[in-house]
Amino acid sequence: MSTKVGIPKETFPRERRVAASPDTVQKLIKLGVEVSIEAGAGVAAGFPDEVFVEAGAHIVPTATALWGQADLILKVRPPSLAEIDLMKPGAALIGFFWPAQNKALIDRLSARKATVLAMDAVPRITRAQRMDALSAMANIAGYRAVLEAANHFERFLPGQITAAGKVKPAQVLVLGAGVAGLAAIAAAKSLGAVVKAFDTRAAVREQVESLGGQFIQFDFKEEGEGQGGYAKEMSAAYLAAEQALIASHAERSDIVISTALIPGKPAPVLLTSGAVVAMPQGSVIVDMAAEQGGNCPLTEKDAVVEKYGATLIGYTDLPSRMARQSSELYAMTVFNLTESLFPKEKGFTIDLEDEVHRGALILKDGALMWPPPPRPKPPAPVAPKAEAPKAVGAGHGAGPAEKKKGVGGRVAGAVLVVLLTAAGLAGPPDFLQHLTVFLLACVVGWHVIWNVTPALHTPLMSVTNAISGIILVGGMVVLGSGAGAVANVLAAVAVLLAAINVAGGFLVTQRMLRMFRK
Amino acid sequence: MTVEFLGTLRGLSYLAAGMLFILSLRGLSTQESARRGNLLGTVGMGLAVIVTALVFLASVASRDTSAPEAAAAAPTMAMGLLAAALIGGGAVGALLASRVAMTSMPELVAILHSFVGAAAVLVGIATYLQPAAIEEHRTVHLVEIYVGILVGAVTFSGSVVAFTKLRGIVGSRPLMLPGRHALNAAMIVGSIVLAVMFLDQPGADGLPYLLIMTGIALVLGIHLVMAIGGGDMPVVVSLLNSYSGWAAAAAGFMLSNDLLIVTGALVGSSGAILSMIMCRAMNRSIWNVVFGGFGAAPKAAPSGAAAPAGKINETSVKEVAEQLLGSKNVIIVPGYGMAVAQAQHAVKDISSLLIEKGVNVRYAIHPVAGRLPGHMNVLLAEANVSYEIVKEMEEINEDFAHTDMVLVIGANDIVNPSALDDASSPIYGMPVLEVWKAGRVIMLKRSMNAGYAGIDNPLTYRDNTYMLFGDARKSVTSLLTELRG
Repeated sequence: MSTKVGIPKETFPRERRVAASPDTVQKLIKLGVEVSIEAGAGVAAGFPDEVFVEAGAHIVPTATALWGQADLILKVRPPSLAEIDLMKPGAALIGFFWPAQNKALIDRLSARKATVLAMDAVPRITRAQRMDALSAMANIAGYRAVLEAANHFERFLPGQITAAGKVKPAQVLVLGAGVAGLAAIAAAKSLGAVVKAFDTRAAVREQVESLGGQFIQFDFKEEGEGQGGYAKEMSAAYLAAEQALIASHAERSDIVISTALIPGKPAPVLLTSGAVVAMPQGSVIVDMAAEQGGNCPLTEKDAVVEKYGATLIGYTDLPSRMARQSSELYAMTVFNLTESLFPKEKGFTIDLEDEVHRGALILKDGALMWPPPPRPKPPAPVAPKAEAPKAVGAGHGAGPAEKKKGVGGRVAGAVLVVLLTAAGLAGPPDFLQHLTVFLLACVVGWHVIWNVTPALHTPLMSVTNAISGIILVGGMVVLGSGAGAVANVLAAVAVLLAAINVAGGFLVTQRMLRMFRK
Repeated sequence: MTVEFLGTLRGLSYLAAGMLFILSLRGLSTQESARRGNLLGTVGMGLAVIVTALVFLASVASRDTSAPEAAAAAPTMAMGLLAAALIGGGAVGALLASRVAMTSMPELVAILHSFVGAAAVLVGIATYLQPAAIEEHRTVHLVEIYVGILVGAVTFSGSVVAFTKLRGIVGSRPLMLPGRHALNAAMIVGSIVLAVMFLDQPGADGLPYLLIMTGIALVLGIHLVMAIGGGDMPVVVSLLNSYSGWAAAAAGFMLSNDLLIVTGALVGSSGAILSMIMCRAMNRSIWNVVFGGFGAAPKAAPSGAAAPAGKINETSVKEVAEQLLGSKNVIIVPGYGMAVAQAQHAVKDISSLLIEKGVNVRYAIHPVAGRLPGHMNVLLAEANVSYEIVKEMEEINEDFAHTDMVLVIGANDIVNPSALDDASSPIYGMPVLEVWKAGRVIMLKRSMNAGYAGIDNPLTYRDNTYMLFGDARKSVTSLLTELRG
């Protein structure tokens, strides 16, 4: 009996996403499960029932029927208490869950002996990136935030020089350079605005700059990186200094996008009322932290308000405003997690040894599994890691070898000098002269060859092939010196071989070089 | 024309030829000046040959008049031989150059090295057969001849073996004779002993010793190169390039010919530098390459602690095509597999197509990709890829982090992350192309077989790595069809 996967229509107000796309339905069916979808579940996301049917899903007319039959429910938002009561006892649920804020739901689900995996609790490790629904949504939200801002901003974003006058580019300030912040930087930049970004974590500077943003440096002795790559909460003095710095930049900004969130805590106030008052008339603020109280105290959740000449946007459903895109990506992350729950030849299995499963697991057959036991600290920051192998190498491998080579080189050099001196003293005078020529030529060759571009190393080899055919001249000298017949024949063969080199080398080099073109 | 005038002319034109050769090599420092460089080299060579031929004719003529009693046939024969050799050799060379496929460049280069080696041996023996020429400072001259022949013979046989290995006539696996180091040492000691005996012989009586030594040197060359694995061929070919230069220089010493000395020294240092560059690119010393027998059967499970065996993501041509079209930055990493499959033209078509669609496509070349220094560059040039988008490792390694997609075509060890993070790996410490930092890596491979180094590549198990199995050319061609469709 194969597992029945059910995808209900989301009931949360203004939620337009759905936890499956036609693409993931097909993939789910390949895993050997049956897929049912509540009628109309995907309509708001641009997936009418027909496309799901085409992909192989059954359409179930009501929520009651769907929840009642499914062994595994895939959702976007946490279920409502009413939905939980429809759920088949012992069934499993995958979706955003926010366990810290939803104790009541946990209790109700526990009574139903349910198994719950939270998409928001998937650990942020490399292996789980394809299941990282938070990042996928944050990326969309950051992009959308810029578009919302641009929509309310009654001027151009890019600078222009028109016949009617000059337009200055809009100044955009992004607070918090997480996934959403970075997406906002990229979007604002590509619309032509001048973008500055603020983050307490100095490590993100590079990412900001790679997107063309200007990083605002904040010097205050307190490191901002918490566990799992999220920013952590700071002291009062720190916050005051931070607010002052942000206010000074906000004063010159037309658009502020604030994205700063601290997991499980109200959002920090970064943009004070005073800072908003000081902003230019007509400026726009998108407070992406509105759901957690906002980074600006003037923001109103789910509303657009005008205060002190600034427009404050407090939408909490930014991903839902791009429901099709969000659904496609969210469905993919849900599918990737689901896929890992169906190992080959086995049915639905949760592997408690698997860091991803363990991290995401909230309830297992009604038993509370959250929070998971603490994991070892996140891997050391990149910089020391990059240095570590080098240090190891210096200790065990490359170091001594290099040193040996250095010493060996010097010894060899000294021996060479002694030998050459001896040869020079003992040998005929013209030998010394040849030696001088030889050594000088080596030095010249050494310097000239290092300048050869690596791309031309093959032509270099064929040219040197050709010019080492100069030994042809040697053969000719022997031939010309009136030697015996045997010597003549040998020399002639040498000339023959060398001539092949000369002709072959130069011609093939020419052929090759003709191919190199811009 | 007097003999003095000819002597001066010869000296001046040799000087000019030497300068032209230096300028020729200098020309190769940029793509723009490279063709002019080759032309200068050709002019230098032509000058040297023409002037030497004039001197040759003059000396033949002078001997004709001054010594009419000498066998009149000898000079004529010498002239005939010279003409035949020059014309014949030139024709063969031209034919080779026009026929050779760019993928066979390593073989051509190897066989040309062997010719220089052989020529050095022949010139050496021929010189020894003219006792009159080496009467003064006999010992020094004899040593010069001996050394010249030794180097020439090693170059010759070594290059022939390298050629057969590159052609695939002989397997590319290293031949590991028991006690091979002792064997090499014995051959070198034997040559030295023979040298002492050879120096004692009057006139041309030392010929047997010389020939025995030549035989030993030939065996030594064969043995040295047989012991080297296929993947180390770039180093060996550059090393033989260097030897061929030293052989020419040695011939210059025995003939007291400065042009030969200068040219030999130039070629010798060129090969030496190339070998050094290649060795650095593999983080190995030259001794390790020549005597290490690398590429043999790997020691049991070299990566013991972190056996990376894990899940492999397979992908399809269709998916890759879609992803390519959706990318902004793509880097293509070609390896020897691309050369073997002759896929460079199809690869070029893909990159042009993507560039047309506004994708920023570049190529990343590892210094030891292929079987010859710069081999990949030549193949891409043959396929008309603009050299401006073909980047060296140092130029592009930083950029992988900002790249959406990397296509690894027939390369393995040069993109192996264990070179950086697994101290137990045999290639630990070798600089590699850090492709895994890109958003997505597509590896085109024939199978899951390891690269020549025989080591597992953890890259294949990374989450952002997707495997596209199949013959490189077929995969690339169907990818191209998909992109067009």
